[in-house]
Amino acid sequence: MRSTGQDQQKYRTLWQRLHIDLPLLSGILALMTLGLFVVYSAGGQENAILIRHIKRISVALFVMFAVAQIPPLSYRKWAVPVFILGLLLLTAVLLFGHVGKGAQRWLDLGFTKFQPSEIMKLVVPIMIAWYVSQYDLPTKISRIIIAFILVLIPTLLIAKQPDLGTSLLIASSGIFVIFLAGASWKLIGICGGLASAFAPILWMFLMKPYQKQRVLTFLDPEKDPLGSGYHIIQSKIAIGSGGLQGKGWLQGTQSQLEFLPERHTDFIFAVFSEEFGLVGVGVLLTVYLAIVMRGLWIAVNAQHAFTKLLAGSLTLTFFVYVFVNIGMVSGLLPVVGVPLPLVSYGGTSMVTLMAGFGMLMAISTHRRFHA
Amino acid sequence: MKKSTQNNPNTVAWRFYVVLAAVVLIYAGLMARTAYIQVIEPDMLKKQGDNRSLRTNTKTVQRGSIVDRNGHELAISVPVETVWADPKIIFDSNALSMDKHWQALADVLGQNVNKLKVRVTKHPRKRFVYIERKVAPAMANYIRELKIPGIHLRKESKRFYPTGEISAHVVGFTNVDDKGIEGVERVYDQLLTGENGEKRYRKDAKGRKIEILSVKEATPPKDITLSIDQRIQALAYRELKGAVKAFKATSGSAVVTNVHTGEVLALVNSPSYNPNNRSGVAIHRFRNRAITDIYEPGSTMKPLTVLTALEFGSVEKDSIVDTYPGWMRLGGSRVADPRYLGKITLPELLVHSSNMGTTKLALSVPKDYLIDKFFDAGFSEDTGTGLVGESSGMMHDRSRWSKFELATLSWGHGVAITPIQLARFYSTLGNGGIKKPLTILKQEQSAQITGDDERIFSAEHSQNVVEMLEHVVNEQYTVAKVDGYRVGGKSGTAIKAFAGGYGNDYVGLFAGVAPISNPEIAVVVVIDDPGGDLYHGGEVAAPVFSRIMKGALRLLNVPPDANTKITLLQPEPKIENIPKERDHV
Repeated sequence: MRSTGQDQQKYRTLWQRLHIDLPLLSGILALMTLGLFVVYSAGGQENAILIRHIKRISVALFVMFAVAQIPPLSYRKWAVPVFILGLLLLTAVLLFGHVGKGAQRWLDLGFTKFQPSEIMKLVVPIMIAWYVSQYDLPTKISRIIIAFILVLIPTLLIAKQPDLGTSLLIASSGIFVIFLAGASWKLIGICGGLASAFAPILWMFLMKPYQKQRVLTFLDPEKDPLGSGYHIIQSKIAIGSGGLQGKGWLQGTQSQLEFLPERHTDFIFAVFSEEFGLVGVGVLLTVYLAIVMRGLWIAVNAQHAFTKLLAGSLTLTFFVYVFVNIGMVSGLLPVVGVPLPLVSYGGTSMVTLMAGFGMLMAISTHRRFHA
Repeated sequence: MKKSTQNNPNTVAWRFYVVLAAVVLIYAGLMARTAYIQVIEPDMLKKQGDNRSLRTNTKTVQRGSIVDRNGHELAISVPVETVWADPKIIFDSNALSMDKHWQALADVLGQNVNKLKVRVTKHPRKRFVYIERKVAPAMANYIRELKIPGIHLRKESKRFYPTGEISAHVVGFTNVDDKGIEGVERVYDQLLTGENGEKRYRKDAKGRKIEILSVKEATPPKDITLSIDQRIQALAYRELKGAVKAFKATSGSAVVTNVHTGEVLALVNSPSYNPNNRSGVAIHRFRNRAITDIYEPGSTMKPLTVLTALEFGSVEKDSIVDTYPGWMRLGGSRVADPRYLGKITLPELLVHSSNMGTTKLALSVPKDYLIDKFFDAGFSEDTGTGLVGESSGMMHDRSRWSKFELATLSWGHGVAITPIQLARFYSTLGNGGIKKPLTILKQEQSAQITGDDERIFSAEHSQNVVEMLEHVVNEQYTVAKVDGYRVGGKSGTAIKAFAGGYGNDYVGLFAGVAPISNPEIAVVVVIDDPGGDLYHGGEVAAPVFSRIMKGALRLLNVPPDANTKITLLQPEPKIENIPKERDHV
């Protein structure tokens, strides 16, 4: 028998051999567990929905575990070809994509429907991190401009589908890499200026009428309470009626009585807030914060610039998910179709997210140990 | 490929701190936002949530009836229907294009078709507009057959008062929403209405009922049985109305009571109104003068003074009072009889209504005793009917009374009472000195002594005074007599007081009881401001008194006692209870 200290050492290395980052996994499992409860409640307490959700969670956990086994530095080899493939697929979607809910997002492969934009959520940060990390940091302006263009192409392709939520997430994942790589403040200022100059163009040429409507509704939801303002008003009522303590699990009237639309997917936060109150929201947000903190810790401690940038980008993109979803549901942001990560019911985005966490775990555990 | 592992880590590191700060800031922002919605705004939002899901269903019940003591209907509810419109449906189904139908609808309702359409079209998104309330069933059927989309009918009930103006003041009336606003309709509104059943439930976005939060069972409305005997009521109203007209009086009131039970058998006023059609009725006609208006009772108070002296013991029933010299001075004021009466007995004192004699009796007892007896008799308190607007009269409770004030009080001036208070005093007198609260509701057990009963005069002295009242009727006001019965009563005539003094208006009163051998009924008649040559209570009120008393005695099957000489000290109640037809309250 060895000493206790050595046991712990051995225990830790066991997880490391499995390429699992335990703190991260704990946070993820905590959120998924909460998610199970809320999805059950929001899904009309139907076992079928719950079972499907559990299946997806299992698949996502498996994907995470599989991705975590791949040494992160090896992504670099695949960055360029996969990125190009992704762009081709996005173009294909625009040309022959399957139309669902008024948007062309899916490629029908015969046996399954496939959403290439999901893959791009991971490919874009890998691509940009690869591109930027080849050179000394901080990166020169010329390279930053190239990096921006690399981000812009998939963003625009996805925005055209139209899928504002995903294009926003992909753009931010690339921009986070550029930011972390050390773009100068001056440049950030210029980009900010360009972005605001771009806004009217976006408004006039790129945004569909329904997207414009969403922004207008965000600015004044009471203007059309039964039409476009309905989502956000019902959602705020749901959150507010939860109060401090919440109404209790399965007791939320707004959500149980079907006043709240999309309640087990994008608006699940409203259901959660109604049933668990401010106390529950505090717990939920704290778990999210803990996961983000752990992700940033992994990024800071990464041993290579590529992994550092990738980990930072993945973590921050995750946080953008949280912010955009809760911001939207609570009326801070216009309605954009972004799920509440790891809690909402929904397959593809959960799998992509978990693949991202697999990468984070890989970055955290595939390290060279200097004995 | 260049290697660039941690060659410049510092730049990247501080970026991470910026990021960290931003993350924490946004986290705090989200927390604050949720907290704002959940803690600052929630009352409004919770209400909004309830507004969307809470509904209350009320089940209405038909108002109960009001019947007299024999079950005759005084107020009943008849089913009618209310026509209403749902403008949204009318627009959605383009019902306005059905011109002929609308014309027919307007015609049957007696409305202008264009105005009708404007009313419906003014608020196209409204879901409810009254078209006409409470139409008769036949009309409702016609409208139903028109089948205009968006024109609906709702069952309601309408109040109908079969006895019209005769019982209007007692029964009162309801407003268009079936809420009692006058008389018994108002006092017993809750009983008559019952309580609507109520169901509070939560519904979902599709309008399905989800959970029932509370159910309140409807309390069925109750019928009210009044103490009023509609036959006596009708008789009293007819006589009173005739007298008011004949003597050109402004108004009149009459009250008939059962002296043993305190039940009000009739309570009428003239002028009255038709409760079934109240439009354009002068407001003063709604006044139930018998309970709201106060008059100086004048000489009708003299029996109380005599009774007080008997009770105190300053005189006996066969005492002689010397009124020499027919007048006296009290303080600066003069008390006098119209003519000098000399030495008179107590019955003679009442027969001639001697101010001198009454004053002497009043001054023969301690002033507190006298005043206490006036309070005991019920002046300054309400009579217990519970009717809305009952006045408790005016009786000063001052510590200093001058002798002249006591003298005027003893013959019914300087005190103001309602006709119903006077009726209560005469009932007490007829009931052997036991004061009972008056009631407008039929009493199940007559003459039962309850905690509210109070002996304020001895039975013997009460009977003595009642017999003296018989002398008054037999020797002075023979017009008040009733064939076959021994009747006692006292007239009163008061000059009406108004701000600052007395004017030229008179009030004629007559109050009394019968039959003397065993009093059953007390009747009070007040004729206010007779405009003709006759104004004295003995002239204007006594004949009405006689006719009402006669009718009441006969209607109630009171055995004639004109030949009996034996009087009972403790009278037994004799009023027959007519068998109940229905179970009323």
